[in-house]
Amino acid sequence: MPWSDNRPAACVPESLVHSDDAIVVSGMRKKFGDFAAVDGIDLTVKRGEIFGFLGPNGSGKTTTIRMLCGVIEPTGGGARVMGYDVCSEAEKVRANIGYMSQKFSLFQDLTVDENLKFYGGIYGLSSEKLAERREYILDMADLRGREKELTGNLSVGWKQRLALGCATIHEPKLIFLDEPTSGVDPTARRQFWELLYELASGGVTLFVTTHYMDEATHCNRLAFIYRGRIVAEGTPQEVKADLSADTILQISVDRGEEALAALEDMPAVQEGYMQGSLVHVNLGRRSPSEADIEGYLRSRGFAVTSIEPVEPTLEDAFVHLVTQQGGRA
Amino acid sequence: MSFRRIWLLVWKEFTQLLRDRSMIPLIFIMPVIQLVLFGYVIGTDVKDLRTAFLDQDGTTASQQVVDGFTSSGYFVSVARPTNDAGVRRALDGNVAQVAIIIPRGFADQVSKGQAAQLSVIVDGSDAKTASVAQGYAGSIVANLSGKLYPRPATKPGATTPGGVDARVRVLFNPTMRAVNTMVPALLAFILMMSTQNLISQSIVKERERGTLEQLFVTPIGRAEYLIGKLLPYVAVAIIQILIVFTVGTLWFKVPFSGSVAVLGIGLALFMITMLGQGMLISLMSRTRYQAQQANVFLMVPSMMLSGFVFPLSSMPALLIPLTYLIPLRYILVIVRSNFVKGSGFIDLWPQFLAMIIFSVAIFGLGLTRFQKRLSD
Repeated sequence: MPWSDNRPAACVPESLVHSDDAIVVSGMRKKFGDFAAVDGIDLTVKRGEIFGFLGPNGSGKTTTIRMLCGVIEPTGGGARVMGYDVCSEAEKVRANIGYMSQKFSLFQDLTVDENLKFYGGIYGLSSEKLAERREYILDMADLRGREKELTGNLSVGWKQRLALGCATIHEPKLIFLDEPTSGVDPTARRQFWELLYELASGGVTLFVTTHYMDEATHCNRLAFIYRGRIVAEGTPQEVKADLSADTILQISVDRGEEALAALEDMPAVQEGYMQGSLVHVNLGRRSPSEADIEGYLRSRGFAVTSIEPVEPTLEDAFVHLVTQQGGRA
Repeated sequence: MSFRRIWLLVWKEFTQLLRDRSMIPLIFIMPVIQLVLFGYVIGTDVKDLRTAFLDQDGTTASQQVVDGFTSSGYFVSVARPTNDAGVRRALDGNVAQVAIIIPRGFADQVSKGQAAQLSVIVDGSDAKTASVAQGYAGSIVANLSGKLYPRPATKPGATTPGGVDARVRVLFNPTMRAVNTMVPALLAFILMMSTQNLISQSIVKERERGTLEQLFVTPIGRAEYLIGKLLPYVAVAIIQILIVFTVGTLWFKVPFSGSVAVLGIGLALFMITMLGQGMLISLMSRTRYQAQQANVFLMVPSMMLSGFVFPLSSMPALLIPLTYLIPLRYILVIVRSNFVKGSGFIDLWPQFLAMIIFSVAIFGLGLTRFQKRLSD
């Protein structure tokens, strides 16, 4: 029956799931033709966690989320989400999660109220419950007085909060957020994270992907996915610990991009990349005195303003992981 | 399958549709505009042809001929030249489009029961008008012959005065005939234009905005989504068909001699085919603009090769095999024959068979491709 949503066989046995697990992923893979977008990943997300799922574009992040939400079926392995199997119980998975993407998938040509009515109904809320949730969301998103306004006319920050409201109208215990803050100004981002913290403090599990490294530090735990595989997992501290013995130098120099290209040819430099207008280089286990960065750059005509060792950031760890895998961030 | 979810999807779709200011005129006014355009413009409804009468006979019989033309409503007397040169001036100066010359001795020949000569000269520079005028003149003359020769004509040729080809129009009133076949054809054509277009635009819009992605992480099933998506456009199509039918039969006075069942089932099969085509277009298009282009791309051959505008009989033999691939071709035969002649399922079985094959194949393909796209 091509139109059924469920496959008969569960792909992950229930016995693998502990009562405090929100998500258990086991050997999950997805192939598109010969290309393995997700190549056999294992993950566990505990209930109540803010879990950061990081990786460059095209690394398999979105494919993973789509499988976890029961939208597409894994080609091998699988996952249990809130206790339900993504292969055999996709509809139950979808009824028990919230999902919000960077597009804030609201109906732009419906009003605020109409969007709430639609999503409330889709999740099977009774009219009393819907009325109660509507009040809550209007307060949360600061949309009082704008109930009859077309969603398309709202500012980005409002849209984002309304989207979160619609995605959580059925009070799911697990919410997937796929780059929810991309394209949003810093103030709105901070406000949005406050809302997320509020949800998390209420026991809701959050599975967040983000490009912003400062946001990743807000997470309890992180996983890096690269070329379809998990290359690192742990708390932000654990992920950075890999680099704690390495020397990271932050260099302020004119013509940063050119300086970076020159530094990458220097034998002592393991990896380098731009962080804003500054150049970061990783010297590995070498001490700063073992490499005459300043002399090297000066001899090539660059004007160096400062060179100072810094604590590794998540971004350093991220670049390090990707470089180790033989790619570029 | 949850009816509440399907109902919400339908409600959402209608709310969006009604809110789109360009949509309402498109849905409700467009069929009427098309009817008027095709009904009046292409409908060859040529009236009040400017006519020069040269009556060289000057008898009661010849006056009867003039009256016969002017009272028909298609010919208006604009000039009464007295000689051939006057006729030429009227035609050259575009004063008249048609000239009718009744030669001396016309009444004599009629009274003797002989074939009477009568010349009808038509300005051929406007081919369309010319052929229509020729047709009208032919049937008016045939009609006159019946009045002028009360007894059965002595010779078969006598009822057809020379110089006029009276064979052009045989069965129907020439002006009504074109509209009579155009209005039924528009039922199918408008169904095609709007169903295919609206459904593909609507799905592509949902994908462009990311709402499609969002809907599939809710408990909405794929079957629910499709039913919720298709139902509103089925309703829109039915409303449009009713508009065209009503305006066609009441305003254009197209007689409906067919059966609602035959017409309804034929159009339903065609609609399913068009929904399938719309889904396929939506899968091939990333933006609404692309979908629009794909619609136009399909529209042109359908218009040209289905017999909608140009009769299949006048098509080059090379193109004929292509016409069999066009669903509109078959539904046009169904709606036209049913409307005009009352043909039923038995008469139209080859066309119905073709429509069933098309609807199953195209809608089925649309469904499976759509399902596949959603699972990737």
